[in-house]
Amino acid sequence: MANEFLEPITEQTFYLNMGPQHPSTHGVLRLFLKLDGEYIVEADPVIGYGHRGHEKMAESHLYEQFLPNTSRMDYLAGLIFNHGYVAAVEKMTGIEVPPRAEYIRVICAELNRISSHLLWFGTYVMDLGGFTPFLYSFDDRENILDILDRVSGSRLTYSYCRFGGVSRDVDDEFITATHQFIERLRSRWDDYHNLVTKNVIFIHRAKDVGVINREVALRFGCTGPILRAAGVPYDVRKAEPYSVYSELDFEIPTGTKGDALDRYLVRLQEMEQSLHIIEQALERLPDGAIKAAVPHKVRPPRGDYYFAVESARGAVGFYIVSDGTSYPYRLKARVPSYGNLQVLTEVLPGTLVADTISILGSIDIVVPEVDR
Amino acid sequence: MSLEDLKEKLSKVVEPGDMVPRDYEKDGCLLEIKARAEQVEAVAKAALEADCFLESIAAVDFTNGPQIIYQFNSCTSISRVLVRVQLSRGESVVSIGSIYDAALWYEREVFELFGIRFDNHPDLRRLLLPEDADFYPLLKDYGKVHAFRSTEDIYGE
Amino acid sequence: MAQKEIAPGARVQLAVVEEVLNLCRANSLWPMTFGLACCAIEMMAAGASRFDLDRFGAGVFRPSPRQSDLMIVAGTISKKMAPTIVTLWEQMPAPKWCIAMGNCAISGGPFEYDGQYAIVPGAELIVPVDVYVPGCPPRPEGLIQGFLALEDLITKGEKRNVLRRFKRKIVKGR
Repeated sequence: MANEFLEPITEQTFYLNMGPQHPSTHGVLRLFLKLDGEYIVEADPVIGYGHRGHEKMAESHLYEQFLPNTSRMDYLAGLIFNHGYVAAVEKMTGIEVPPRAEYIRVICAELNRISSHLLWFGTYVMDLGGFTPFLYSFDDRENILDILDRVSGSRLTYSYCRFGGVSRDVDDEFITATHQFIERLRSRWDDYHNLVTKNVIFIHRAKDVGVINREVALRFGCTGPILRAAGVPYDVRKAEPYSVYSELDFEIPTGTKGDALDRYLVRLQEMEQSLHIIEQALERLPDGAIKAAVPHKVRPPRGDYYFAVESARGAVGFYIVSDGTSYPYRLKARVPSYGNLQVLTEVLPGTLVADTISILGSIDIVVPEVDR
Repeated sequence: MSLEDLKEKLSKVVEPGDMVPRDYEKDGCLLEIKARAEQVEAVAKAALEADCFLESIAAVDFTNGPQIIYQFNSCTSISRVLVRVQLSRGESVVSIGSIYDAALWYEREVFELFGIRFDNHPDLRRLLLPEDADFYPLLKDYGKVHAFRSTEDIYGE
Repeated sequence: MAQKEIAPGARVQLAVVEEVLNLCRANSLWPMTFGLACCAIEMMAAGASRFDLDRFGAGVFRPSPRQSDLMIVAGTISKKMAPTIVTLWEQMPAPKWCIAMGNCAISGGPFEYDGQYAIVPGAELIVPVDVYVPGCPPRPEGLIQGFLALEDLITKGEKRNVLRRFKRKIVKGR
């Protein structure tokens, strides 16, 4: 008779809905979790709350008219998306970009990458409960935004690149300000490491949490810091060099285990590598024109083309099908957060709900990029 | 795995005439493969054996039917490969979700934007649009587009 | 200036209490964390170290709508998200206000065109908006100006907001 009580009467699991309005989901992401107590049994990310129809917009807008959209897809790395789109159309049409413009694009893209990683750093630690690094990193980020604001006119959603170059030239004040910023950020690494990296609570929440190893990452098509933290040194800037990255010297930081702490360390080291790239590019900045002469409405030849760049989150690709007119026939943006988010269905089961925040933060997704 | 290994594995599945080399500098890919809907699974298996990952699945709508483009890439060497599958309206294709997990979401997106069904997909439901949406937005006869052409207009065949 | 009416025989003047309450509400608006897209980052920057929102009393971003009295709709409203916004608005207790931040929340922004199928062109179609802050995205200073305009709205006039130590200069014709 006592055995009757050993039989389960009801199922123990229940459903918990995280989002779409949630302080830690970094945008309008909804995680539909099936829980057994505090342990996750199944995780289903529901996306689409930020779907704005970029790809349909491209089919009725000129190539030039679509340029502001690219920056709003991933607004934290807007310049890099700009660069990818503009370079895709330039390759299609055979437009030569002057070297000064290429170097300016690289400097601004790397500054954008640093600002994206700084924001990630601040918000990740804030999600885990530490509010102070958020204020420090946003302060540093404001310096970058001042520099980019002066030259492009916008703080967040840039449309700085044009077909054939960039829209405005950089002056000496830009160069001085960038040098000062590099000095300042380098002096901050100690603060960041002392505040966060050596913090026992942070290490407990990030070490061995959310391990994504090489096999899982490749099965889901993850790229960027997730793949690099798993030990694969794949970076589009080295694997398929574009712009002037082949002339610059930098390393690809990798991790070993693929847990959240590895992803965190990879991103911090990437910021240092970006500073190194900016220094070299500033040194080698040539004189000359900043924009090639292109027709008023570009008209790429017929066919399909693909161009890949490395954004702060992974490999971004623009696949454009052109029918010979000045309107794209089909434009598809391959975004890194798509695969990076899907890996949650594999990584989350078996972890605690509190670890979900840590894993989600360490993956660094931007939801409007996923939703396009 | 290099491009030659991949080509060798693929030659067991598709005709050599269907494997068209492309100019990487201009087009961004090294190889283009024209496959039929029934060959997709075998091609995906060959790509998996060649250590490629699935980069993206896109679809384009033409007057003679939608076309799905699978993109495979490898992190060991440049080998971006496009696999082009021309379908007719209403035709369905086997899902490669059992081979590449990344395909699950890409196929859901293609289904909801173009209406192409994927057989054996474990969970084919709406991803980006609201659950009660009953239209396929990226088809060329929906909404505002500039042109609706056939594959011959664009690719010449 | 509101006329303080003293009802015959009344001992308590409630109008003054209401004014004091409005002053308190205006100077401690608690926004709800409700960033949808790009404008959310500028909202975060407005709450961060350089453009501190806390000095206006609004630095405490509450995650739960039941504890906040201001909803800043920052970003594009997609059709899938619209029912959620209405639910959240209804969950907020009165008195509550709404700021539409950014062009997308005002009128659909850069995404509103002839064949748009996925967005709601403007927050005013689903929730009552009090202040519109234009920009794509608006600078944090712009959002702060929106806050100050909302404070004026709540206290019904600049002269009543005695805690503000400066006078805003409105230059006509700019």
